[in-house]
Amino acid sequence: MNIHEGAPALSVAGLRKTYGETRAVDGIDLVVARGEVVALLGSNGAGKSTTIDMVVGLARPDAGEIAVFGASAHEAVRRGMVGVMPQEGALLDDVTVRETVALIASLHRTPLPVEEVLSRAGVADLADRRAALLSGGQKQRVRFAMALVSGPDLLVLDEPTAAMDVAARREFWQSMHAFAETGRTVLFSTHYLEEAEAYADRVVLMHAGRVVADGPVSAVMAEVGALGLEDAFLRLTGASEAV
Amino acid sequence: MTGYLTFEIRRTLRDAKFLLFAVALPVGLYLLMADRFIDQGAPASYVMGGVAAFGAMKAALDVGARTAVERGIGWQRQLRLTPLSGSGYLLAKASVAMVVALPPVAGVSLVAGLVSGVHLSAAGWAAAVLGVWAGTVPFALLGLLIGQFATAQNLQAYQGAVVLVLSFIGGLFIPVSTFPQALAVVAKVLPSYWLAQVGHATALGGGADSWQAALVLALYALVLGAAVVVRYRRDTARA
Repeated sequence: MNIHEGAPALSVAGLRKTYGETRAVDGIDLVVARGEVVALLGSNGAGKSTTIDMVVGLARPDAGEIAVFGASAHEAVRRGMVGVMPQEGALLDDVTVRETVALIASLHRTPLPVEEVLSRAGVADLADRRAALLSGGQKQRVRFAMALVSGPDLLVLDEPTAAMDVAARREFWQSMHAFAETGRTVLFSTHYLEEAEAYADRVVLMHAGRVVADGPVSAVMAEVGALGLEDAFLRLTGASEAV
Repeated sequence: MTGYLTFEIRRTLRDAKFLLFAVALPVGLYLLMADRFIDQGAPASYVMGGVAAFGAMKAALDVGARTAVERGIGWQRQLRLTPLSGSGYLLAKASVAMVVALPPVAGVSLVAGLVSGVHLSAAGWAAAVLGVWAGTVPFALLGLLIGQFATAQNLQAYQGAVVLVLSFIGGLFIPVSTFPQALAVVAKVLPSYWLAQVGHATALGGGADSWQAALVLALYALVLGAAVVVRYRRDTARA
């Protein structure tokens, strides 16, 4: 199962990516140990999605090293060790939920049973519905099932709850929590402070393509002497002057 | 890759409207044209060859070009997070295009045989159907290339223009021998001209001397195949 025994789930060093004049990611170092649940927090344009795209092999870094379980992102994806829910990425309208998940399963060498994945992602009752008839939140849960189906050791979720209402969001985090309880690693990005506070062991705060704070939620807050993550966030990203 | 291919074939075969249209359009065109051409002394089999080539070409182009929609909504992106390789995806799509290209040829041939009394030996029928079908490969790849450039919004415009130019200037409907000199030169550059050569020759019971057309079509397939791969790589690296 593990490519390199003992290698961290994710190890990133000196990561950079420039789009035209914009330095989307401007030198990031990050190590995620196995079993950690890490929130990548930041406002729009902080570089979260670009970082995640590079970590999972969807985008090529201009500079820097990425190792997923000690291997390249591509290799880890190919072996089904990483389950990914990218921010953009959609379902085929004419295909049912079960067919979609079964297809992804058929592409992996050792997938989990499709029915089990459907129920773990909370979409078992939607299995025969075509994607065209799903709500935004339901589609996200199907995509969560697609990320789960290879039985990954690391889940990478890019703003997983962006399209969900409050109830769907709560339900989603319950499934997520169940996954993390089995000792797996999770890296998720969000701009909801309360999600990071409630579900992550550790928060990595990004601003303008850099990591400005990294540690347990309590430590990040203590570091800036703030009362809540929101204050810490505003202070660290230099937005406090504007408020 | 076989998993993805099976999925795509099943998905395409249950799209009844698409398949029906792929067959009905060339069959309808054949029935319309056969009447007029036969009045002018052209054999029905000549019309059959050109229209069968049109049906196969359009079906193959359509399947490939429709990948623009999947690319637009991010389905290709989603697949890149699985062990399926980019070439596996493209090969599966090209294969589906070839599967869909067969019924129009078979349909036009069947109608030509039943309604217009086109007579060929068993081997002649096989050559007519399989020759045109095999010659469709470059169009499946051209469709994919369009799909990797176009967006869901401008797809119809691209696709319409390409089909129009290839079928009319390529001489699928009107014999190139009736073209003005300059246009005839242009026609011979188009892959559809060579597909029409295969269609016409095999429908008239010949086709053994189609090696030149086969060579041109094979070359087109190589170049277009390479172009698709290069374009796909560029497109995914850009992200």
